[in-house]
Amino acid sequence: MLNYIWAGLIIISLIFAIGHDVRDIAQNTYRNGEIHDISIYFPDNGDPDRRQNVQFRIAGHDGRFDAAWRPVDDSYEMVISVDDDMPDHWLSIAEFQETSTSTEILAEVVSFDRIEATGGVLLPKVRYVKLRAITTAAFDMAEFAVTLAIGLIGVMALWLGLMKVAEKSGLVYIIVRFVQPFLRFLFPNVPKNHPAHGIISLNMAANMLGLGNAATPLGIKAMEELQKLNPNRDKASNAQCMLLTVNTASVQLLPPATLVALIGTGVNELVIAMALATLISLIVGITAAKIYEQYHPEDPHSDNIPDEQKIEV
Amino acid sequence: MQTIAAFVLPLIIVMIPLYGLIRKVQVYEVFVDGAKEGFQIGVRIIPYLVAILFAIGMFRESGAMDFFMAALGPVLGLVGFPVEVLPMAIFRPLTGSGSVGILADMVAAYGEDSLFVKMAATMFGSTETTFYVLAVYFGAVGIRRVKYAVQTGLIADLAGIIASVVIVYLLFG
Repeated sequence: MLNYIWAGLIIISLIFAIGHDVRDIAQNTYRNGEIHDISIYFPDNGDPDRRQNVQFRIAGHDGRFDAAWRPVDDSYEMVISVDDDMPDHWLSIAEFQETSTSTEILAEVVSFDRIEATGGVLLPKVRYVKLRAITTAAFDMAEFAVTLAIGLIGVMALWLGLMKVAEKSGLVYIIVRFVQPFLRFLFPNVPKNHPAHGIISLNMAANMLGLGNAATPLGIKAMEELQKLNPNRDKASNAQCMLLTVNTASVQLLPPATLVALIGTGVNELVIAMALATLISLIVGITAAKIYEQYHPEDPHSDNIPDEQKIEV
Repeated sequence: MQTIAAFVLPLIIVMIPLYGLIRKVQVYEVFVDGAKEGFQIGVRIIPYLVAILFAIGMFRESGAMDFFMAALGPVLGLVGFPVEVLPMAIFRPLTGSGSVGILADMVAAYGEDSLFVKMAATMFGSTETTFYVLAVYFGAVGIRRVKYAVQTGLIADLAGIIASVVIVYLLFG
């Protein structure tokens, strides 16, 4: 399933990007190759064969805009500073052109009348906007993934350290005793009195209280405990699928901080709605996982308890 | 509730080593021993995160969403599901930052008090970024074959999304 979704996302992206770009070319959205008539204002009748800052007016459009005038070989070019008052399609050329900057447009002066100081300019061609966008997105997100993972290391280490202390001191086993009756239903294959129960319950508690930076490390730690019991190294066990389902349903009793930042105090009247919705998604998720479990029968994990945990169990 | 949340973390962080001391555990040594793993896990999830995030990033930029909105809008309208919240429904399981952006756009377009924003916010608050959770949790233990976890995660999301719409209708509509 994940294979199809993953490949599907990539293939759909490509198809839609190509479709979009073909439509752009067919409709000539960016009016590529069109010559725009402009009149140029040289400062104090300056010599056009010199580099200088000029102003110009676009035919059929009000307002003067700034540009740098540059003679090159036999002709001229203009580096136009983008202005919000420019015609819309000039602005979209600035935004979607291939050069990275969106504040300047390099225009080629294809005709120039010295006496009238008028001319025609050719703006850069804009093509394959979406194809470039998805490529950039792919590379940017790959980079972002690493930033995200590296950012996790610190909190990960903090919680893994704390959990190790909790495990060695026996604190986890105290928690296990309290939550076991509830969790045995969700994770029937996890042996009795196993520390995984304790860590799973801490992960759930952190989720409920909206403590995102505690919930993820605790969830990972719980996943590790379940992995120690898992007879297959690279295939998820039923217990791991259940843990994941419970976490994606994310029982939250407190609104996440981002939501408070976005819609302010209005979030308070949504607390009940969110708690209800999250409860429904949790119940449905657990039911679905329980049904899937029927089709993936599994032996209890009692044989796979690692040695260092056997003594306590 | 907020008060409890404010106290929980510092309390846990203090209680665990304190209890360890009482039980005569070499708390510092054990802590460092456990924390060592943090780096390995962080590095281990990188390939999983890269795989998931770049595919989602491409999808987000490709403009496919506009097409789905246009195609699914009339169908969803028949059952009373407002097409305005469809981007949130589709992007919430895919990307956390993306859905924050969608919600911000919706607040700007419809106002904080609109029914659509309430629905989208409820969706945001009641479901998780399933694919991120999947990549991180399973990536951390090196699991590539995820069995039915995608299906159950998405079923839970779908239930949360539908519940958000219905509940907001009932409470505010």
